[in-house]
Amino acid sequence: MYDFIRGPFAWAALIIFVIGTIFQLVRYFSLSKKAGIVHYKTIPAQKTPESAVQLPFMARVKLTILGVSPVTVITSTVFHVLLIITPIFLVAHGVLTDVAWGFSIPAFSEGFSDFLTIVVMICGAYFLLRRIFSARVRAITTLYDYIIWVIAFAPFITGFMAYHHMFNYNVMITLHIFFGGLMLIAIPFTKLVHMFYFFINRFLMKSEHTFGKGSRTW
Amino acid sequence: MAEQTTAPVNTDEIKSILDKHKDQVKLSLKLCAHCTLCAESCFLFHVKDKDPRYMPSHKFINSIGKLYKKKGNVSRKTLEEISEIVWRKCVLCTRCYCPFGIDIPKMIALARQICRSQGVVQQFDKE
Repeated sequence: MYDFIRGPFAWAALIIFVIGTIFQLVRYFSLSKKAGIVHYKTIPAQKTPESAVQLPFMARVKLTILGVSPVTVITSTVFHVLLIITPIFLVAHGVLTDVAWGFSIPAFSEGFSDFLTIVVMICGAYFLLRRIFSARVRAITTLYDYIIWVIAFAPFITGFMAYHHMFNYNVMITLHIFFGGLMLIAIPFTKLVHMFYFFINRFLMKSEHTFGKGSRTW
Repeated sequence: MAEQTTAPVNTDEIKSILDKHKDQVKLSLKLCAHCTLCAESCFLFHVKDKDPRYMPSHKFINSIGKLYKKKGNVSRKTLEEISEIVWRKCVLCTRCYCPFGIDIPKMIALARQICRSQGVVQQFDKE
């Protein structure tokens, strides 16, 4: 089982992730089209009400999503950043690439990576508790959301347990590779697709809240 | 109150409207992480004592989301329920904010269009 998980399964997961991602990106560009140029009518500067332009910085922050839901937004931001950087800059993963391909990138110290993993798990606990106990989140929660939660956090939980030799190491490390692969497979085909569609939707799609040029439309 | 009519639902017509916007509807439903960060951006959510049914995501999942998942095969009763959501619980002020950039007003407008195509509309003038 261990040989299968770390061999063909891991490769299949990586290939499915890459091909699935390319498929989704090609599909997006084939289904969307170039947006026409929109000329916005701007209010002449001298007619802009003073109250609108001179709102203090903190007052403006309070109107943003960060000001409205600070705990969730900060937890979410920390989680998403760590979700990417923790596994990339992990010593053990660097050793794997070194043994397999003869190269590795700089890594965080083991202790620091361990700390980051704990932070990720705390974020995970927050999301789970919020989903269970917050009435508004519960109102639109389905079993699918819990499955996605497991797919997202299981690699971290099993990795942490394997590193600390909790229960049986061989079982934990096999589970860790399995869940890591499962996450890669799930990214292009489940709600986790927001990993790249977030950037597409917020930067490329034409909308009021775009971060970029918003050059495309449906 | 929704207009009372017993005419059968033309599911083919609903399907053809859905098909025209299938890509955007499908992606929007997939992209919604059920995070509920849109809730506070809806003034009706505040006015209605933070009732979760007034969250933009709840409204869009239970209107266009329901129509999409059932591929347009819905009963008149379901359309009437949807019309309650898209007209009574949303005024299309377009002030809702989604962190993923989902165009929720467009989704609600599409659900309205589908309801209207089947003659299911709210009759505010007859109340």
